[in-house]
Amino acid sequence: MSILFLQFILEIMFLILVFLHISKKSSEVVWAYMFQSLALGIILFNSYLDSGSILLLVVVLLVLAIKVILAPLFFNRLIKKNALAFSVSTYINTPLTLIIISSLTFIAYSHKFFPLTNIIPGNHMLLALSLAVMFLSLFLIINRKGALSQIIGVLSFENSLIAFVVFAGLEQSAWLQIGILFDIFVWIIISTVFTNMIYEQFGSLNVTVMNKLKD
Amino acid sequence: MEIIFIIALLIVSSLVSILLKRRAAIEGVSVVSSFIVLILSISIAIKVADFGSYNFLPFFNIDALGAIMILIVSFVGFFTVVYSIVYLRKETAKNIIGFTRVKQYFILLNLFLTAMFLSISASNPIFAWISIEATTLSTAFLVSFYNKPSSVEAAWKYLIINSVGLLLGFFGTLLYFTEIHGTGGAISWNLLLENSSNLNPLLAKIAFIFVLIGYGTKVGFVPMHTWKPDAYSKAPAPLGALLSGALLPIAFMIILKFKKITDAVVGPLFSQHLLIAFGVLSVAVSALIIFNSRNYKRLLAYSSIENAGIMALGFGFGGLGIFAAILHMIYHSCVKAILFFTSGNLLLKYSSAKIQNIKGALKILPITSVLFILGFLIISGTPPFGIFLTKVYILSAGIQVYPIVSFIVLFFLTITFIGFLKHVSSMFLGEKPVDVEAGESSIWLLVPPIIFLVIIIILSFYIPPFLLALINKAVLLY
Repeated sequence: MSILFLQFILEIMFLILVFLHISKKSSEVVWAYMFQSLALGIILFNSYLDSGSILLLVVVLLVLAIKVILAPLFFNRLIKKNALAFSVSTYINTPLTLIIISSLTFIAYSHKFFPLTNIIPGNHMLLALSLAVMFLSLFLIINRKGALSQIIGVLSFENSLIAFVVFAGLEQSAWLQIGILFDIFVWIIISTVFTNMIYEQFGSLNVTVMNKLKD
Repeated sequence: MEIIFIIALLIVSSLVSILLKRRAAIEGVSVVSSFIVLILSISIAIKVADFGSYNFLPFFNIDALGAIMILIVSFVGFFTVVYSIVYLRKETAKNIIGFTRVKQYFILLNLFLTAMFLSISASNPIFAWISIEATTLSTAFLVSFYNKPSSVEAAWKYLIINSVGLLLGFFGTLLYFTEIHGTGGAISWNLLLENSSNLNPLLAKIAFIFVLIGYGTKVGFVPMHTWKPDAYSKAPAPLGALLSGALLPIAFMIILKFKKITDAVVGPLFSQHLLIAFGVLSVAVSALIIFNSRNYKRLLAYSSIENAGIMALGFGFGGLGIFAAILHMIYHSCVKAILFFTSGNLLLKYSSAKIQNIKGALKILPITSVLFILGFLIISGTPPFGIFLTKVYILSAGIQVYPIVSFIVLFFLTITFIGFLKHVSSMFLGEKPVDVEAGESSIWLLVPPIIFLVIIIILSFYIPPFLLALINKAVLLY
C-alpha cells in the first residue's frame, strides 16, 4: 500500500475521533469505534503484506474479531439492555472542544515533539498524525462524562498507540501482540461488566453522579 | 524451573477453585499452593544470592532486586491467604458476603499473585507490561468486592486511571526500542541496556518521563495517586496488604529497570531529579492529607504514597540512599501487612472504617491495638526499628547533595508523624463504646501480623547473609 493511502486511513482515524468528541448518540460512538478499529486493521494488514508473516495475519484477524466484531457487540448489548440511546455530554462545550482539538493537533505537529515524530523521518507526517490521534483520545477520556465514552476513549488511545508503533517501526513479535490483544480483550469484558454495574448502582452512566467516595 | 512451578501452581489453584464446590477445599488449595510458592521463592532467592541472577528459558530472568521482590510477594501473599480465610469467614458470619464471593476472591487472588510473579520474572519489558496490566484486571473485581455504589466507583476509578497510566507506560516502553532492529521482537531488559548507547538521548528522556508517569500511576506517586485511597479503602482489608506491600514495589522495580537504561544514555542526574521531584511531592501531599484523614484505611493508603515517595527519594539521592531505599521497601511491605491485617480486625469489630467511630480499641482489641500501634511506630520511623535507620540514611544521603530538599522532607515526615499519632491516640485510647463487645475475633487474625512484626524486629537488627548479599547486588545494579 502507498504511503498516501496509509495517510488517508490515518486521517479517517483522526476524523472518527473528532466525531467521537461531538457525537451525542451512544450507538454512533460504538459505530465510530468500530470503524476506527477497522482502519487500524487495514494498517496492520499492510504490515502483514510487507512482512508476509502468517502470525501477523493472525494478529490482524484477532484485531478484527475483538475490536471490530466483539467489542461493538458487547457495547451495543449494553446500550440495548439499559436503553442508553443518548450518550452523556462533555464537560466542555462543543466550540471550545473543537478549539482544544485544533490546539492538540497543532501541538502534535509542533517542533516540541520532533524527536517522536522523526523516529522514522520518512514517516514524519504519519507519526505526527498518530500522535495527534493519541492526544485527542486522551482528551476524550478527560472530557467525556459518560462511562461508555471513557471506555471508548481508552480503547481509541490504544488504537492510536498501535498505529504510532507501526509507523515508527516498533512492532513487537506477533506472540507479544497476541498477548497484548488478550489483555485488551479481557479489559473490554471487565469494563463492560463495570459499566453495567455502574448503571445498576447509579441508574446512569454519567460519572459525575458517582460521588459516594467520602473520606 | 522453580518459576514455572510457581506460575503453574497459582494458575492451577485458580482453575481448581473455579471447579470446587466446598469452601474448605478452596481455602485449602490456596493455602497449600501459596505455601509451596513461598518455599520455591526462597529457593530462587538463595540461587540469585549465590549466582547473581536466575534464568530459565529465554523468557524468565530474575536479578537481585527481582529476587527481593519474589520474596516479598511470596511472604505477603502466603500470609494474606492465611489471614483472608479467617477474615472472610467472619464476614460471612456477619452476612456481608456469601460463598460465591469467597470463591471469586480466591480465584482472583491467585490470578493476582500469578500476574505479580510474571511481572517480576519476565525477561521481556513488553511481557512485564502485559503482566502489570493483568494485575489491574485481576484486582478490579476485588476492589468492587462488596458491590456497593462506593466500591463500584472506586473500582471504576482504579480501572480507568491505571489503564490510561499503563498505556502511557507502554508508549514509553516502546520508545526504548527505537534503535533495536532485527531481533524478531525478542527484546530483553539486558538487550535494551546493551543497545542503550545507540538511543537518542532526547528520546530516552521522553521515554523515561512516560514510563515514570505510567508505572508511577501504579506505584501511586502524586499526582497520579488519586485511585489509591479509594481502592484501598473499598477493597477487602487483606488485599490492601498485597496492593501496598507487593504490587507497589514491583511497579517501582520496573521504573528502576528503565532508570538504569536511561542513566546509561543520559547520565543519572535526569532520572534522579525526576524521582526527587515525585518523591518530595508524594511525601508533602500525603503528609497534609494524613493529618486531616477521617478513614483509617485511606490513612494507610496515604501512608503508602508517602513511603513510595521516600523510596523515590532514596533512589533519587543515590549513594547510601539506594541501599536504604531497597531496605525500606522490605520493611514497608512487612509493616503494611501488619497495618492492613490489624485494620481488618478493627473493621470486623467496629463495622466502620471511620476514625471517629473507633474509640477505646485498646480495651476492646488489646492485641490488635498493640500491633497497630507498633505498626504505626515502625512506619513513622521510630527507633529502634529498621525504618528509622532507612529514613536516616536516605536523609543523610540527601543532605550531602540536596540539603534544602532533605529539610523540606524532614518537615513533612514530622507532620506525618504528628498526624498519624493524633489518629492513633483517638482510636486506641479513651473509653470503649458500650455496644461493642470486647475480645479478639480469632487467634488466626493475629498470627499473620505477629509473624510480620517478628520479621521486622529481626531484620531491624540482623539481616541474613543471603538477603544482605541480594541487597548489595541490587545496589550495584541500580
